[in-house]
Amino acid sequence: MIRFIIRRLIGTIPTLFVVSLLIYSILQLAPGGPEQRFEQNPKITPAAIAAFKHRWGLDQPIPVQYCRWVGICNPDGEGLGVFISNSRLPNFLPGFLGGGDNGVLHGDLGYSSNTGSSVASLIGQRVLPTAILAGIALIVWVSLALLTGILAAVKPYGKLDTVITIFNYVGFSFPTFWLGLMLIVLFAANLRVLPAGGMWDARTVPIFGSPEYWKFFGGHPVNALVDLGRHLILPVITLVFVSVAGDSRFVRAAMIDSLHQDFVRTARAKGLAERKVVFRHAFRNALLPVLTNVALELPFLFGGAIATETIFSWPGMGLAYIQAVRTFDYPVLMGILIITALVVVLANLLADILYAVVDPRISYG
Amino acid sequence: MTATEAARERRTGVGDVLLDVRDLRTHFEVMDGTVKAVDGVSFSLRQGGRLALVGESGCGKSVTALSIMRLIEVPPGKFAGGEILFEGRNLLKLNDREIRKVRGGEIAMIFQEPMTSLNPVMTVGDQISEAVLLHQPVNRKGAQEVALQSLVDVGVPDPKRRLKQYPFELSGGMRQRIMIAMALSCNPKLIIADEPTTALDVTIQRQILELIKNVQERTGTALLLITHDLGVVAETVDEVAVMYAGRVVETGTVEEVLLSPRHPYTRGLLESIPSQGKKGQRLSAIKGVVPNPFRMPKGCKFEPRCPYAWQAGADEEPPLFDLGPDRMSRCWLYDPRYADHLAEYEGRAPKKSAEVAS
Repeated sequence: MIRFIIRRLIGTIPTLFVVSLLIYSILQLAPGGPEQRFEQNPKITPAAIAAFKHRWGLDQPIPVQYCRWVGICNPDGEGLGVFISNSRLPNFLPGFLGGGDNGVLHGDLGYSSNTGSSVASLIGQRVLPTAILAGIALIVWVSLALLTGILAAVKPYGKLDTVITIFNYVGFSFPTFWLGLMLIVLFAANLRVLPAGGMWDARTVPIFGSPEYWKFFGGHPVNALVDLGRHLILPVITLVFVSVAGDSRFVRAAMIDSLHQDFVRTARAKGLAERKVVFRHAFRNALLPVLTNVALELPFLFGGAIATETIFSWPGMGLAYIQAVRTFDYPVLMGILIITALVVVLANLLADILYAVVDPRISYG
Repeated sequence: MTATEAARERRTGVGDVLLDVRDLRTHFEVMDGTVKAVDGVSFSLRQGGRLALVGESGCGKSVTALSIMRLIEVPPGKFAGGEILFEGRNLLKLNDREIRKVRGGEIAMIFQEPMTSLNPVMTVGDQISEAVLLHQPVNRKGAQEVALQSLVDVGVPDPKRRLKQYPFELSGGMRQRIMIAMALSCNPKLIIADEPTTALDVTIQRQILELIKNVQERTGTALLLITHDLGVVAETVDEVAVMYAGRVVETGTVEEVLLSPRHPYTRGLLESIPSQGKKGQRLSAIKGVVPNPFRMPKGCKFEPRCPYAWQAGADEEPPLFDLGPDRMSRCWLYDPRYADHLAEYEGRAPKKSAEVAS
């Protein structure tokens, strides 16, 4: 098992390399860039812009820029020396082995061309809010999907199945942004029972993630949690409502499939109650395809439910991403994309590991 | 005493009627209409007796077995008529709780597909003891012991290790042994074996049949064997009910049915078995195909394929004519009005069928 995991982790390297190349080339083709904002400004001379580009390495050939971003090249090097770190060793090695300290390989995702702050720290701030929203939404939606999918599958084309199916199609057809706005109109603007957006009430609670916030959290945990919960309700409903449908249909299909297997008939022939037949026998076998589906949804959530976070101004990855797009902040975009790619790969690995846990037929030697 | 009498003696000595299926009708409502999969099945089985239900694919033998277990999904299935008396109780009238006690506890079933009939993600031990826990007053540990004992009973080598194995680690024959062990674990009064050897290698088939027979003799449970293989019938059971198009067309002891079939369909089946004596000859087959369930012929369902058919009762279906104790045939030949046709039928009796039973 350990060997399998190590083998798979090594296997991710080429995948991530190709992904990084793709991200880099596509963003190179896109218009704009860090220097673009100066071009409309008459007070900044072309010489100043050239100096700016030189300072940030934007005058280098694109392959060199890519290598510096990845961390294979040393930005201080010249000629072939770019591959050598300041400690006279290959630059791609980890810092403690004498490699460089720049580039994705060394945990340096560059700097926002907009704010100048480090991309890694920006992502770091955004991970927790996204994890809270996505985690809770995932738990709610997977539970609902399992429940409705199983209930629908037990009597396919029955009344309950029809009701669930209709709900699923309605949910599936709702655009996230529209549903989110309608919820805001109803619960925040008209009924005034829930906040319209944000993650905390700025009048009573310090900025989320700041040391003051954690101090406040330690002092008034109930208040802090209630405040967080109130802000979570609408975005979670939005995410769940549109996402539960697909998984519910998927669980239904997997369960119907499983319920028609011979061993389910054997289980009934033993005299087991239908509930046990469904859960102990059919469900455990239906879990495998469902697990795949859910594991592959993880990175989508991690990357931030972009529309939901934007509508509810939830300070997570999705909002950071959309802000970066709007401001042509390519370093931030690349950082988020490469991290998301990493999460996709890891989620796949997680799915493979879970297979072996759920299904004794699968083992990794 | 002839073999037939011996068998009858044995049979009557075995005990009272355990299972009495009377004019069972199991239909399925599907998109295109009603499929009358079972439409007039009657047979009875005594305590400790052995009966085979024989017929081609699609004749309704498996549906009959699943009806006895009430494993027919309702809807689309429907019990349109008849009764299944098990120790005098009509199984079709039991509620869910009651039928669950019968399933596995009093009637156990062995299925055709050992490869897929066991749950792939549960250990063999858990699957057997699951049934034991339901029907016997034992705790988890006791159930594992019962499971172990039943594996020993069916001759599974290294039974302790097998308990902890998953079905995918076992061969087809071994899995079928597990199924038999599971069926036995609760000491049922009746075991229904639905084509238990069809999916197995020929070499394993015999072992499994022997095992079922031994187990049946040792425990004294009754056996309802469902098969299309007349060779298996000859080796395993005492009585036979032949099915065609959802009906029982002939019943009798093995010797009676295999040696002197009283229905043209049974005779056709026997003639189509290859044997040494027929070497070099063209194998005879029953001409035509099984009738389309949506366009059943009126009257006798076998008439379109029957080499002996004449325009008897045309639109009327023949009843099961009583030809002696537990000996019946659903053929107009046994209507006293058509005695001359019967004489002709018997005159054309095939010579080779004797080999089948030997």
